[in-house]
Amino acid sequence: MDEFNDNEIAKLLRLKRYEQPPPGYFENFLHEFHRRQRDELLREPLWRICLDRGHDFMLRLNLPALTSYPVAVTAVLVCAAVISLKLYQTPAPASLAAQDRSVSNGQPLQVFATPTNNADAEWTLASPAATRFFSAPSLRNPTESAFTHTRATPPRYVLDSVPVSYETTFKF
Amino acid sequence: MRRLSNFKRVPRFGLLRVGLASTSVIVIAFSGATPSRAGSAEEQSASSISRQVKDVFARAAKAVVKIHAIDPHGELCGTGFFADPTGTLYTAYSVGGEAENFTVEFNGKKIPARQVVTDIRSGLAMLKIDTATPALPVGKSDELEVATPVVTIGFPLDLDETPNFGMIAGFDHKYLGRYFSTTHLRVNATTQRGEAGAPLLNLKGEVVGIIVSSLENGSSCYAVPIEAAEKIRSDFVRFGEVRHGWIGANVTEAPAPVEGSRAEITEISATPPATGSGLRSGDILLQVGKVKVREPEDVLDASFFLTAGDVVPITVARGGEKITFDVQADVHPAVKNVPMLPDGTQLPAAATLKFNRAIPLGLQPGSQRTP
Repeated sequence: MDEFNDNEIAKLLRLKRYEQPPPGYFENFLHEFHRRQRDELLREPLWRICLDRGHDFMLRLNLPALTSYPVAVTAVLVCAAVISLKLYQTPAPASLAAQDRSVSNGQPLQVFATPTNNADAEWTLASPAATRFFSAPSLRNPTESAFTHTRATPPRYVLDSVPVSYETTFKF
Repeated sequence: MRRLSNFKRVPRFGLLRVGLASTSVIVIAFSGATPSRAGSAEEQSASSISRQVKDVFARAAKAVVKIHAIDPHGELCGTGFFADPTGTLYTAYSVGGEAENFTVEFNGKKIPARQVVTDIRSGLAMLKIDTATPALPVGKSDELEVATPVVTIGFPLDLDETPNFGMIAGFDHKYLGRYFSTTHLRVNATTQRGEAGAPLLNLKGEVVGIIVSSLENGSSCYAVPIEAAEKIRSDFVRFGEVRHGWIGANVTEAPAPVEGSRAEITEISATPPATGSGLRSGDILLQVGKVKVREPEDVLDASFFLTAGDVVPITVARGGEKITFDVQADVHPAVKNVPMLPDGTQLPAAATLKFNRAIPLGLQPGSQRTP
């Protein structure tokens, strides 16, 4: 401020009063403004540019509305997982029962193959239920079932409810 | 005088009070003593009965066994008891009649048993195991009366031997319109499944009957008199088979009793032994063998204890006099043919019945005589 006194400043302002931009300056002003703005932006690092663009994109999307979709998908996946686990675990007790029965009968344990042994070899893209129920060997065969039924039937404890009598008339 | 008289009245009232007081004390004492004495007597009676039942159970339970067998419907379980020390045991026909592969639980072991003889007419069967066994003494069902206390020992369901206490409720000839082959003992003792063939014991521990069926809800049961089982056994010992006898006469109720009997012979079979025996239609039946006849129902017992081939004395009243005929009994038609039910159908069990399942020893006609 010490270098310029008020007279010099007033002289400069008088000179600036008649200063004119070159022709076409105002027509190119907006274009030139955008160009300079892009130049400023391009001077920033690439990661910052991507971050800013991503941020802008996310802001344009309605995130609270979109959160319901992943929640619903997750719930469906959890349910499917639980149901498939139930299906896998159902044959296990039958397998154990078969083993116990064969042991009690004094027979070797070769009658039934447990599903767990065959499970790895039978993985397919088909639905778990179809794979497990229709391709696994049957846990019961008719002969063995009949034998078990016979053995499990309790004996009849005898006492007639009507006495034996068939004399019709008094004959001797 | 007034004072004196007043003075004299005082001790009179005092004596009266003393008398009333002592009388009331005596009355109270006696009135209190009577129920306590009665209660004590009841307790003694109950404990005495309990002691007797325990004693019978302790002595008889060793001779009562559980019987396992297999028939076309599967495994069955019933009760039986040893009738002699050689392993012969009685049971009900429903247990030992049509099954096979018998085993008897005795002394903690399962011992194979074989069928000796069966008789669907009485509802009894005899089995045998080849070992020495305890045996129940045989009593007399004739000595029983209504309300006589009795004990049964059986194996209900899969439980251990179980005593039951009851009393004789009646001597029945028929049930639901169907006549028994012989008088059945109706017993007010609870029975359960598995107790068919259980012995009916008097308080002396003697067998007087064999449980053959329950009644309604199992609160009572029917037992065949032990004499019927002994007749089966006697026939087997004599002939190797059961031989029910037959004369060939029909009996109905007479309009008036004659010589104390209302059993009138109405029809005589045209075939021996009835024909030519001397019996006639119109005769009043008085006695057949040892069995006195008073009612037509008595003929059932008379008929049951006949043995084919034996000569039996039959006493009738005819024209005011008693006449006795000796008649040789023939084989009962229920044995010759399949027994028929009142509705004309055949007994399913009897349709395939083999009458003689033992080795026949040969009949000795005329050499035996039913007393």
